[in-house]
Amino acid sequence: MRSKVLAFGVAAALAMAVAAGCASTTETPGSGATGGASGSESGAPTKSEYVVGYSQSNNAEPYRAQLNIQLEHFIKQYPDLKLLPITDAQQDSGKQVAHVQNFIQQKVDVLIVSPNEAAPLTAAVQQACDAKIPVIVLDRTVNTDCYSSFIGGDNVAAGRKAGELAVQLLPSGGNVVELQGILSNQPQIDRDKGFREAIAANPKIKIIQQREAKWLKEEATTVMNQWLAQNLKIDLVYAENDPMALGAYLAAAGRGQEKAMKFIGTDGLAIPDGGIRAVQQGQLAGTFIYPTGAEEAAKAANALVHGETVEKDQTLEIEGVTPENAADLYAKFDFSNK
Amino acid sequence: MSHSTADVPNGVSNWRRTLSMLGSLQGYIGLVLVVSAGILTKGDIFLNQANLTNAVGAFASRGILAVGVTLVILTAGIDLSVGSMLGLASMVSAMLLSRADLSPWMILPLAMVAGGAMGLFNGAGTTLLRIQPFVMTLATLSVFRGIDRQISNNVSVGTQIAQDDGTLTPHSEQFQLFGTPGHNLFEGVLGAGVYYPVLAFVVVCIVFQLILSKTTFGRHIYAVGGNETAARLSGVNVTRVKIAVYTLAGLLAGFAGPIDAAYSASADPQAGFSYELDAIAAAVIGGASLAGGRGTIIGTFVGALILTLLDNVLGLNAVSDNLQLIIKGLIVIVAVVLQRPDLFTSASAAVRRAFGRDDSTHTTRRST
Repeated sequence: MRSKVLAFGVAAALAMAVAAGCASTTETPGSGATGGASGSESGAPTKSEYVVGYSQSNNAEPYRAQLNIQLEHFIKQYPDLKLLPITDAQQDSGKQVAHVQNFIQQKVDVLIVSPNEAAPLTAAVQQACDAKIPVIVLDRTVNTDCYSSFIGGDNVAAGRKAGELAVQLLPSGGNVVELQGILSNQPQIDRDKGFREAIAANPKIKIIQQREAKWLKEEATTVMNQWLAQNLKIDLVYAENDPMALGAYLAAAGRGQEKAMKFIGTDGLAIPDGGIRAVQQGQLAGTFIYPTGAEEAAKAANALVHGETVEKDQTLEIEGVTPENAADLYAKFDFSNK
Repeated sequence: MSHSTADVPNGVSNWRRTLSMLGSLQGYIGLVLVVSAGILTKGDIFLNQANLTNAVGAFASRGILAVGVTLVILTAGIDLSVGSMLGLASMVSAMLLSRADLSPWMILPLAMVAGGAMGLFNGAGTTLLRIQPFVMTLATLSVFRGIDRQISNNVSVGTQIAQDDGTLTPHSEQFQLFGTPGHNLFEGVLGAGVYYPVLAFVVVCIVFQLILSKTTFGRHIYAVGGNETAARLSGVNVTRVKIAVYTLAGLLAGFAGPIDAAYSASADPQAGFSYELDAIAAAVIGGASLAGGRGTIIGTFVGALILTLLDNVLGLNAVSDNLQLIIKGLIVIVAVVLQRPDLFTSASAAVRRAFGRDDSTHTTRRST
C-alpha cells in the first residue's frame, strides 16, 4: 500500500520534471534560424516569440483588474509577444519580490512591474536589471535608475484637475467635503495635495470635513450620511475615487438632497458601475481618467524586445470626463468585448 | 460559576459581586453610556430618527453576521469567514438580478442557499475533518473571497439601470427596498416607515433569540459549548449541532448579502471585507464568551447597537479615524474584562503576592 503511494508520488514528480523540461526547451531555443543552445545569453537574436512577465501588486482593485484586462488586450496586438499569467502580489511586497525573482529565473524577455511599494521592490528590479532583463516600471516608481522605462499617471495632477473643476463649479466659493482613500496610500496623499493646491485659487472654497472612506462605496455612504445628519451646508463632494463619490451620491439621493450639491470623482473606469457612466447619467459633475498605461507598456515591451530604445520616463495625461465627451470616452476605454 | 463567599475577605466579595453584576448588565450600561455621549455632544442631531435609522441600517448586515457568529461562538467555535460569505452572497445576488433578471423574492432564498452551502462546508470541515474552526474558517475566508473576485472579474456589479434620459432607476424597486438609504417600508402607514435593514436585523435577532431560549436545539447549542463531553454523554449529537450552527451562520451571511448589495446599489468584489471582526466584536461586547456556552442574541444585538452608535457619535463629532480605532479596541477589552469578575480577585491577589503579602493565598486558590 505504502510503496504504491510512494511509486505514484515518484512518477508524478518525474512527470512534472519532464513537463517542466519540455516547457523550458520549447521556450529557450526560439526559431530554428538562431538555433543557439543558450538563447538568453547570446546578444539579441531574433526569436519568433518573446516572453513578457507582469508582476501586479494587487488584482482586487477594479482599477488594477482593468489594467490587467487592457494589458492582455494590447499585448495580443503584437503577435510575437507572449504574456505569462499575470501574478497577483495581493498588496504584499514580500510576495511581489518573490514573483519578480521567479520571472528572472524564467529568463523572461521583458519584465513589467507595478510595485506595491517602492523600497522593497527596488532590489528586485535591480536584480532583473543585473540579469540583463529590460524592466518597465508601471504606475508606481522604484528607487533605482536601473530600469528601461517608467510609465505612469500623475496623482498630484489628477487631484489638481479635480480642484480646478471644483473652482469652476463654485465661482463664488462654497463648502467642500472630501472622501479620502486609505490614508497611508500614496495616491491618496498625492490626490489630496493636488486638490488643495488647486482650490487655493479661490479662498472662499473651504474643505469643512474630510474622512477616510478606504476607497469603498459603502464606507462613503455611511460617512456621508453622518455629514448630512449634521445639516452641514455642503456645496461639493470631492472623492478621491469614483466608488466613494457614488456612495456619497447615494446617501444624498436617499435624503433627496443630491441636486443641492455637486460630486466629483476620480479614476474614470469604463465599466457599467464606473465614473464615466455616472458622469453621463448626471450623477457626477465630472471625473478624471487616471490612465492605466497598459497600451504604452505593451508598446514599450515590443520596442524593447526588438532592441529599440524607449523614452525613459513617460508621464501620462490625465483626461477629464465631461457630460459632452463621456459617451465617446466610454466607447474608447470599454474593454469588456475586446 | 456558583461559589460561596464565606472564606473570602469581605471587601473582595463585595467587589466581586458588584463586578459580576456589572458584567451581566455591561451591555446595557455600555449602551446607556454611548447614547448619553451622543445626546451630550450632538443631542439634536443624534436623536433624529433619520440619523438613528441610517446608523443602524449601515451596520445591519454586520449585525446579522454577528447573530450567526454568536451561534458558532456559543458552541466554543469561531467563524472568520462570514465577511467573505456575505461578499460572495452579495455578488451572487447582484448577478442574479442584473444578468438573470430574477425576482428579488427568488434571489433572497437563493442567496441564503448559497450562504448555507458555504456554512455547511465550514461545518463539515470542522467536524468531519476535525480542522480547528479558526483554521478552517480562516481558509474559507480566503476561498470564498477568491470565488467572489473570480466570478466578478474584480469588477463591481450594479443593481441599477440607466434610462435613455440619463436617470438611474433600480433594476428592481423591490430589491432596492432591501437596503438603499431612504427607502422605507410601510411609508405612510407607520409615519416615516421602517428602514428594511433595521427591520431585517431586528427580526433575525428575535427569531434566533427564540430558537436559543425556547427550543431543544437551542439548549443543545449551550450544552455543546458548556461541556462537549458531558453533552455527548447525555445524548446530544454534537457533530450535528456544530454543523447546524455553521450552516446557520452561512445562511445568515447569505441573507445579509442582498441587503449589503442594495445598500451600496452594487456588489463590490471587496464587500464585507473585515466584517467578521465587527461581528465578533459585537458578540463579545454583548457578553458571548469565546470559551463557549455563554452569551445571548439579545446581548449581541446590544453589542451591535453599541458599536454602530459609537461609530455614529464619533463620526458626528468628527473624531479622527485613528482615534476611533483605538477607542473601539479598548471597548472590546473592557467588555471582556467585565465578563470575568473572578479575574479581578485573582489579579489583585497576584499583585498582593508580588508585594509579599501572602495572607490572600486562599483567595487566589479559590478564584482560579
